[in-house]
Amino acid sequence: MVRFAALADLKSMKKNDVILLAALVVAAFAAFAGISWYSHISTREPQAVVFLDGEEQGRYPLSEDITVELCQDDGSYNILQIQGGKAEITQASCPDKICVRHRPVSGQGESLVCLPNKMVVEIENGEESGVDAGTR
Amino acid sequence: MKKLRQAGILAATVLVLAGIACIKNYNQKPQRYEGQFFDCFDTVTTITGYAQSQEDFSEKLKLLQEKLTYYHQLFDIYHSYDGIHNIKTINDAAGVRAVKVDGEIIQLLEMGQEMYGRTNGAVHIAYGSVLSLWHDCREEGLRNPEQARIPSGEELAKRAMHTDMGDLVVDGKSSTVFLKDGEMSLDVGSIGKGYAVQRLAEYAREIGMEHALVSVGGNVCAVGGKADGTPWVVGVENPRPDSGEAYIATAELGDGCLVTSGDYQRYYEVEGERYCHIIDPDTNMPPQYFSSVTVRAQDSGVADAISTALFNMDYEAGLSLVEELEDVEAMWVGKDGQVRSSGGFKVNEEK
Repeated sequence: MVRFAALADLKSMKKNDVILLAALVVAAFAAFAGISWYSHISTREPQAVVFLDGEEQGRYPLSEDITVELCQDDGSYNILQIQGGKAEITQASCPDKICVRHRPVSGQGESLVCLPNKMVVEIENGEESGVDAGTR
Repeated sequence: MKKLRQAGILAATVLVLAGIACIKNYNQKPQRYEGQFFDCFDTVTTITGYAQSQEDFSEKLKLLQEKLTYYHQLFDIYHSYDGIHNIKTINDAAGVRAVKVDGEIIQLLEMGQEMYGRTNGAVHIAYGSVLSLWHDCREEGLRNPEQARIPSGEELAKRAMHTDMGDLVVDGKSSTVFLKDGEMSLDVGSIGKGYAVQRLAEYAREIGMEHALVSVGGNVCAVGGKADGTPWVVGVENPRPDSGEAYIATAELGDGCLVTSGDYQRYYEVEGERYCHIIDPDTNMPPQYFSSVTVRAQDSGVADAISTALFNMDYEAGLSLVEELEDVEAMWVGKDGQVRSSGGFKVNEEK
């Protein structure tokens, strides 16, 4: 309790102590707000997240047109194309081509899936469609 | 005295910071998480639920994956697993001996028998000999599109001679299954996944998930609504991939299940003609009635079976089947895009 007694005894506190205390509190709040703001901003951009066999392989913002070859050790591949804010698979080594036939995606939680290659592209921070899941 | 004061200031600062951290933590409600895994029922499983942390959610996801893997192995017709008598074991012993199996297989097959009766044979789990012929042609055709062919009518008719449900002997008391016809085989593709999803949803509740959405390859089952009390919104996939809309309609699920059977995902082409994976036991050919049929029911196994059945019959026959069944509703999407639904099916059509 000695510490509290010392703190409460404001009259005996030096001016610099008060400034230091105030500065520390302000700094703490600023840091806290800054971190919150940054994490909010940095995760808000719509992006395509690529998973191979459940492991995240990369993130590609939908705002940049790009073509990515997703190759795996066994020679299987999917080609991911991002164009005009939408992601789609344009070519793949799988026999069924279900991933290639899938329409381009851009909405929150939408995904492109290639089962034979165990590849998933998932949209994060996309436009909310309000749909939680879809039947197939 | 100075040192003491400095220590006091330091302690006060720490307290303030700790206080802020506590308040932030205290306000933290369970977060919504989504996880996926492969390897079960040849599709992707997506679990949506709530947890305090990613670790907490991952732990539950792992339990669910183990559970679904168990059913996957039990209902597998292509692979054998150490120490498990599965559907393949039964098929391999056709005409030779009865196989002792897990009670879950008995329940699944009994459900299959019941559905065969209710749907007038449109759901047919002893139809493996015909389905495997189509399966082999499809796999070959996908590997080698130039050589793609469909089975001949003669081949199909020959195989169809070995699809008598009466030759499937399920003995619940001794927990054994025997196929009397050595040429016949079981294929539980029309009900197995649905049965497993139902059990998975029940298991999710058992491990403490009060609000979750389970989707095994688009076979969707709700456990309670969302954490905020509103229902889950489930989209019915648009069967036309060239159309801009991802979903043709959406339905709200507070509980219960939604399953779609369609011709637009698993198929192969022979000379420009599309042949899907669902085969009508009446004609031994892929049915040509609809692009997709979606069924809503309390039980996922029922929803799975009935969606297959409806895909195999015309709208009038399907509607009267739906009306006979309690708590079952359906939505049909025709080849021309026409959408029809049974009276109780509340869907929001996407315009």
